[in-house]
Amino acid sequence: MLTPIEGIPGDLLQVDLEAASVALTVDAALYPRSALYGAAYIFIDRCFVLLDKPDPDHFRVTLSWKTQDASAEALRALVGEFANELLSCAWRAQIAEENRAAMEATTARVLAGAMGPPSLDDLEKFDFTDAPLEDPLGIAMSWEEKYGKKKGAQDEETQDKGGVQE
Amino acid sequence: MTELRLNRALYPRAAVDAAVLVYAPYGALEVVEEQAHWVVRVTAASRDRERRIAGQLGNYSLGLSATSPAESRP
Repeated sequence: MLTPIEGIPGDLLQVDLEAASVALTVDAALYPRSALYGAAYIFIDRCFVLLDKPDPDHFRVTLSWKTQDASAEALRALVGEFANELLSCAWRAQIAEENRAAMEATTARVLAGAMGPPSLDDLEKFDFTDAPLEDPLGIAMSWEEKYGKKKGAQDEETQDKGGVQE
Repeated sequence: MTELRLNRALYPRAAVDAAVLVYAPYGALEVVEEQAHWVVRVTAASRDRERRIAGQLGNYSLGLSATSPAESRP
């Protein structure tokens, strides 16, 4: 028989002492399916885990002890631990989603670096007609371009030396 | 007989079939397709054994569902 646990709304959590199981309803908007799978997977060595989707906005997780002699307190502790794990998995899923582009770019660079220097064939196939990299701050300039003598000053210097270039 | 109801939106058919194949030697298993669920009917020597087979089968198919590539999930 399903009974609510004191202090927790009955529509969120119900305990069945005879079956040594506890059913938790979670909001699908807060906890993505990948987080639900992740949290459930961690508990399958301790209890039987059953996932369900009673309506499009909610998941229902039923945790049953593998042995049928669990107390209400043990079930409460179990479902509390599961809820914490679910929150942790949801948070990690969100971090992964937000940083997916950065992770993919880093991985691609690492793999490209691990492939070693390009071969002569690769260089031969390389398209040098591509547009050069954007450099709005003028950083990608050679030292000579940036600090070398200007062309006018160089001509004057050449004349001073009697037209002899060094 | 014990019924295990696995939601079709969460458990791919391939995961259920693979789990049924693994636990078939431990009891009589039958998969029935319903609108929202795969219903696995478990018949074994005792009620306790049926519960255990159903629970382990559920865990096994959950593990396969969780580790299957996202694009193959329902």
